[in-house]
Amino acid sequence: MEDFSTSTGEKGDQNRKELAGQNLGIIALITAIITFVLAVIPCVGIIALIPGIIAIILASVGLSQASGSNSPRGILIAGLIIGVVATLISFSQIFVAGKIARHAERKFPGDIQNIIRDVRQDVLKDLEDASISIKVESNGEIVEIKADVKEKRIDKLQELEEGEIQPPDTLNKQESDSLK
Amino acid sequence: MKREPGRDPYLIINFVLAAVVLIIIAYSAFLSPDNDNYPVPCIHEKLTGKPCASCGISHSFSLIVRGEIDEAYMWNRYGMRIFIFFVSQLLMRIVFSVIYQKNSLLRSQIIKMDIAGSAIIFLIAFFPFIADLISRFRL
Repeated sequence: MEDFSTSTGEKGDQNRKELAGQNLGIIALITAIITFVLAVIPCVGIIALIPGIIAIILASVGLSQASGSNSPRGILIAGLIIGVVATLISFSQIFVAGKIARHAERKFPGDIQNIIRDVRQDVLKDLEDASISIKVESNGEIVEIKADVKEKRIDKLQELEEGEIQPPDTLNKQESDSLK
Repeated sequence: MKREPGRDPYLIINFVLAAVVLIIIAYSAFLSPDNDNYPVPCIHEKLTGKPCASCGISHSFSLIVRGEIDEAYMWNRYGMRIFIFFVSQLLMRIVFSVIYQKNSLLRSQIIKMDIAGSAIIFLIAFFPFIADLISRFRL
């Protein structure tokens, strides 16, 4: 009876030694696989860094436990490798996100400058095309000032080309007579 | 060393991964696309201010579960292939577990086949995200 209990105990110890780190290996591998899938998805890839590190720690602890016995290490090594790769992918997501943010920051002031330049050009163009008319009425006298910039310029250019217009610094005949 | 089915690491891993996939499908079915009450925000968008390739994927999953495929494509064009990956993984976990238990002599080959098949399906399903990640490095 005593012998039987001793042999059962020895067998149990042997089994425990052979399976040392196996449970940790299973948990590490499952965590690493889930982390790997998460790490590739951009939305949640950054969060995957945490389970990735957990998987690496679990696999490392399992390997250290297994190193003292003859227990199989396949699951532990697989968990460690997948965990490390998943963590690297997750880390690269952080790197990429940082790069995009920096790129956006660099690009943003340039965008504002472009918008300001476009608005300024539009305003200047509108002013060039503007046709302003001011009408003042006082004691029955009506004074009307019309400023059609674009048309005036074109007309002046055409008149100058055709020689119909005098230089602008000369006065009209009626105006010069009134001055006299 | 022969193990009981409950102690076999391959079967335990298959069981847990199948449960995870079922949770994902249940999450998609439980959350309504009309209420838009998805608890997982896009961390990438929060950090960069720009939407990423996987934005709207939860919404897309919910619509796929409800059979609204066209609208699911509108929310995220990669949603369908990712959903197919998860469903295929659920089926593979069940099928491979049954085959593994029935063929005790071919267990090593079954595991290798499972790893290779899963890796190929993963690469096909997640290729747009992987390609996007690689292309972002060149920014």
